[in-house]
Amino acid sequence: MAGPDRQRVVVVGGGTSGWMTAAALVKLLPDRCHVHLVESEAIGIIGVGEATLPHIRAFNERLGIVEAEFMATTRATFKLGIEFRNWARIDDSYIHPFGTFGRGAGDVQFHHYYARLLHAGVQLPPIEAFSMACTLARANRFAPPSPDPRQIASTFGYAYQFDAVAFAPYLRHLAEGLGAERTEGRIVHVERNGETGDVTAVLLEGGRRIEGDLFVDCSGFASLLLGKALEEPFQDWSRWLPADRAVALPCRTVTEVTPYTSAVAMPAGWRWRIPLQHRTGNGYVFSSAFLSDEHAADALTAAVEGVPMASPRVLRFTAGRRERSWAHNVVAIGLSGGFLEPLESTSIYLVQQAITALVELFPERRISAVDRDEFNRIVDMEYDRVRDFLILHYHATERNDSEFWNYVRTMTVPDSLAEKMALFRRRGRIVKYREGAFLDASWVSVYLGQRVTPAGFDPRAAGPTLESLVAGMKQMRAEIQAAASAMPDHLSYLGRYCPMAAAA
Amino acid sequence: MLDEPVRKVAVVGGGIVGWSAAVALKRRVPGLSVTIVPVAPPDNALADRMPQTLPSAIGFHDDVGLREEDAVLRTGGGWRLGTLFEDWVQGQPAYVHAYGSYGQPFGTASFHHHWTRAAQAGSAAPYDSHSPAAMLARAGRMLPPDPEPGSPFADIQAGLVLDIGRYRAMLEAFARHLGVGVREGAVAEVQLRGGDGFIERVALADGGSVEAELFVDASGPGGVVRGAIEAAWEDWRPWLPCDRLTHASAAATAPTTLDHVMALPAGWRWQSSLPGATLHGLCYASDFLSDEDASRLLAEASGVEALPVIGFHQGTRPEPWARNCVAIGDAAVVIEPLEWTNLHLAHSAIDRIVSAMPGRACHPLEIADYNRQAVAEGTRVRDFVLCHYATARRPEPFWQPHAALPESLARTLRLFAERGRLPFFEEETFARDSWLAILLGQGLIPRRIDPLIGTTPPQQSDAAMAGYRAAITRALLQFPTAAQHHAAQHARITR
Repeated sequence: MAGPDRQRVVVVGGGTSGWMTAAALVKLLPDRCHVHLVESEAIGIIGVGEATLPHIRAFNERLGIVEAEFMATTRATFKLGIEFRNWARIDDSYIHPFGTFGRGAGDVQFHHYYARLLHAGVQLPPIEAFSMACTLARANRFAPPSPDPRQIASTFGYAYQFDAVAFAPYLRHLAEGLGAERTEGRIVHVERNGETGDVTAVLLEGGRRIEGDLFVDCSGFASLLLGKALEEPFQDWSRWLPADRAVALPCRTVTEVTPYTSAVAMPAGWRWRIPLQHRTGNGYVFSSAFLSDEHAADALTAAVEGVPMASPRVLRFTAGRRERSWAHNVVAIGLSGGFLEPLESTSIYLVQQAITALVELFPERRISAVDRDEFNRIVDMEYDRVRDFLILHYHATERNDSEFWNYVRTMTVPDSLAEKMALFRRRGRIVKYREGAFLDASWVSVYLGQRVTPAGFDPRAAGPTLESLVAGMKQMRAEIQAAASAMPDHLSYLGRYCPMAAAA
Repeated sequence: MLDEPVRKVAVVGGGIVGWSAAVALKRRVPGLSVTIVPVAPPDNALADRMPQTLPSAIGFHDDVGLREEDAVLRTGGGWRLGTLFEDWVQGQPAYVHAYGSYGQPFGTASFHHHWTRAAQAGSAAPYDSHSPAAMLARAGRMLPPDPEPGSPFADIQAGLVLDIGRYRAMLEAFARHLGVGVREGAVAEVQLRGGDGFIERVALADGGSVEAELFVDASGPGGVVRGAIEAAWEDWRPWLPCDRLTHASAAATAPTTLDHVMALPAGWRWQSSLPGATLHGLCYASDFLSDEDASRLLAEASGVEALPVIGFHQGTRPEPWARNCVAIGDAAVVIEPLEWTNLHLAHSAIDRIVSAMPGRACHPLEIADYNRQAVAEGTRVRDFVLCHYATARRPEPFWQPHAALPESLARTLRLFAERGRLPFFEEETFARDSWLAILLGQGLIPRRIDPLIGTTPPQQSDAAMAGYRAAITRALLQFPTAAQHHAAQHARITR
């Protein structure tokens, strides 16, 4: 059977999401589409240094990206989780790991046994002592997980921290090599079919007109096609996620290159620290209702380690998503479709999930509502589940040292989250999901890390004797420590595996 | 302060559902005192009466520490690998739904897209000929207990066919051995306490009573205990009009691992093999077939007289758990036995009670979370059963659509018909392979295929599919027939 004609896909915007989309389409659907990406160097990309989730590895693999080469090019480091500092109380610190607590096996989740021992008055270290990923991260060590499921060293995953400014050109090279076309230019007009309302072409400054069948809007916050041209309504979530600004400030790396990202709570938001091989990304995400840009920049400058490499840059945003990410023949991927602050490094994850859905639901020239609806259902589910998880970080706090923290501590959260928290507070129950970015261990880690402690535990955890549980915990901890100390230092592993290309 | 843990549970219902619940609660929740009031469930408690199970029954045995030889062999049970569906779509050959993978992934698209492309071109071999489990079932053969890991036969799962009477007796003996308290008697009255309306005690006809903090109602569709709280019911009859069933047990024919399910003008008929017997049954809609005609049809098919007709109403409680009482089995959800989900849903409910055990206060949030999962699961099983009818094509009035499909199934069918994809649902019982076996088996060929297939030319797909079919056929003969398997198992336990 002859394939349908190749469709003309126009990708608007050449940042991380634009080039990820272009590269995936030309690589995975070579017979189905011709990809034409329009970007304007005058606009520039947001890329502030990116921390990712482990899912990125599957994406890179599908694109045939060689890990060591990709890491060297983007000056990447390994990431085992995120350290949250000062969230529930000032001086608290916990790591949300990519991995399990305990072995992650068995009928009853590890945290129920842990809770039982605490209730019995047994002195225990924080739960992260029973996580391979957290232990490795705190020890500043790294080696890839063991493929043997019997080994404790198989109980973690990893992601990357990389320079997004270097990632987009890397993907561009890949995409252009596979036939993607690129045009430099600023879009001044979006042309639509008067009858169907579909987008027919974009007009560039200077008069050039680029036609397409399907338009992917990767124009960032501008949302040129979905937001501006199609006027798709925006669901504003800022009543739960009031942060609406970020000030960014990269610094030369002079401190430890940690195999984890840090998110440090600040008086009106939080500060990120993302160590790359050559520099450390820093930024302060804050709410303009509680803090001015100037004060945020000053606070960030005072807090960072290392010598700033540029002056502070301010970004503006609103948490939320478009009602539909795909309307007519326009699919928004990335910031044009929605924004959730980078607290849990979900930006690239959400881009990736949308690309995967688009590839799997790639339409015919005459777009079926079935494809659009399924795409929107997938994207909405991802956004909504991440949203609740992010709100938890703010709401589960005891801090009362600033107006900002007073607001988030006392705000009304979505019912879906309020129920999840109440269930955990009672008997440590985690609302069960099979899909979504964050599964059981992630929720446990943030709950316990932010002092949401269960009043009870699963009655099955009362089965073993206290002595046998204490001994089992001790043994598990020893096993984790032994496995961690057998692994190399993060920086020396990087130096061997993927030393960065010559400094820029 | 958190409410105290539940220490005393009473199970009402002495069918296999009630005894299973008693066993699992006693075995899996430490320190729980479990009392059962083993009132015999009525004939129309399908989860207590239907002999065929899904593979999850074996998982249930594992969870409570029942060995297969005790649970299956010594109770006269046998294994089943799948069901042959005949005459559901006019002009389509019969197809098998078995529990294991269909096809082998290759290239960048899922197997069924390769098959769909061939089917669109008119050159596909039957979909189930790419399923090791289906082919094994068609051959009436069985897996050895430990198939070679990594072989195409390694992921096959077997369900069971139970001798219900002996199986129930085994569960009872096991429950008594575990220390489950048994209180014989008939339920006279369910007494609610003032204030919160929780069930305080179940009064028995002999004047005694059973008190507990939590009551599990496994009494069958009447739901005598749970029904004392409230009686809301979601009716599925507009979609699933079958409301009668009759069955019969005839002399054994050659044992097999394959059930037959044949569509009839006003319902469907089954035939399953149990060691020493052949089981027959007929499920139908009384609006379209009289009980006399049904009994006569079954008698003709089985050669023996049919047992008295059983009536049932398909549907679910919107809240299986209310206050301190949780309904399971037919007290919670009633569905026709097509695809043998009755005991599965009961086992799944039991498992959920164990893993979501609330405290004595049965806090509304904890109960709501249980109900959300239970109802989502039941609804999706309903969709799967209904899918057989929604995609069937027969001329009789019974087979014409009676009501617009529920949106969850309509969406599933829309997306599948358009592009061969299945939407994701939480709490889905049947794997994607099962849905595909039914949809493709009934001849619903998607209009489009996965664009990712573009990189694999059709000839390459065809060659890979042919190679896989040949490999399955070659391997089949090394596996024992159902009779050989059974004899070998028996020899092992009697040695």
